[in-house]
Amino acid sequence: MSPAVLFKTEIVIRNNCMSVRKKFPIRLAAGLLLAIVIDTALQLVWKTAVLSLPNDGSPWLNVQAILHNPLFIFVIFLMAWQFFNWLMVLGDADLSYAQPVTSLSYVSVFFLSVLYLKEAADPIQITGIIFVVAGVWFISQTDHVTQSQEREA
Amino acid sequence: MGQTAIGVLLVVICTLLEGVGQVFLKKSVLGVVHWYLWLSFGSVIMVLQAAIYTKALLFLDVGAAYAISSLNLISTTLMSRCLLGENVTRVRWVGVCLIFIGVGLVVART
Repeated sequence: MSPAVLFKTEIVIRNNCMSVRKKFPIRLAAGLLLAIVIDTALQLVWKTAVLSLPNDGSPWLNVQAILHNPLFIFVIFLMAWQFFNWLMVLGDADLSYAQPVTSLSYVSVFFLSVLYLKEAADPIQITGIIFVVAGVWFISQTDHVTQSQEREA
Repeated sequence: MGQTAIGVLLVVICTLLEGVGQVFLKKSVLGVVHWYLWLSFGSVIMVLQAAIYTKALLFLDVGAAYAISSLNLISTTLMSRCLLGENVTRVRWVGVCLIFIGVGLVVART
């Protein structure tokens, strides 16, 4: 087979692949981005809130502390916001697609820690960040929704 | 049982509960009959999971808890495949495994 024919065949295969892959909705992109932002904030605020709890092991004192701590109120607000945003995301994408993509919050937490908390950037951690980004790239190459479920919905 | 072991056990329970809760939530948006039951049970499971995770943070460093909780990527992907019938291709599995390894490396030094 001549190089020209091979080139044309490749173009045809590429065009077919592009037409088979479903269009990525902007609403889903916005939902996933928001999920990553909220998850980042949630992780940072939640740990700060837990550290402020009395450490005497009494559940009743913990409940009282939670009810009077504005940080926990903010955690609950973030959780509620995350919940409704997540339902919207799940309406547009497979669970096995959307959940791994939100792992990008590990990347955002890492960069926020380095930029604003002046934590040291370890080479092993940077390798991990590259793995996470590569993993999300692989997932982004798959269809965001299973066809049979799309028909059901 | 030591405090660390209790913390690890609680976070592992959280990862399994999150997988089940996520499947229930996904079911609720698939337009199935009694979607509100799936949503309610899913919500209850997620609240329970959050309460257990909060307790686990008292026994474990956030880095360790975060690392173990990344197991929910594997459990949720498996449950999506088996319980929801999602098309989890090899490429998607490669992505999930890379993220799992990456998260492990990121939080290992936390």
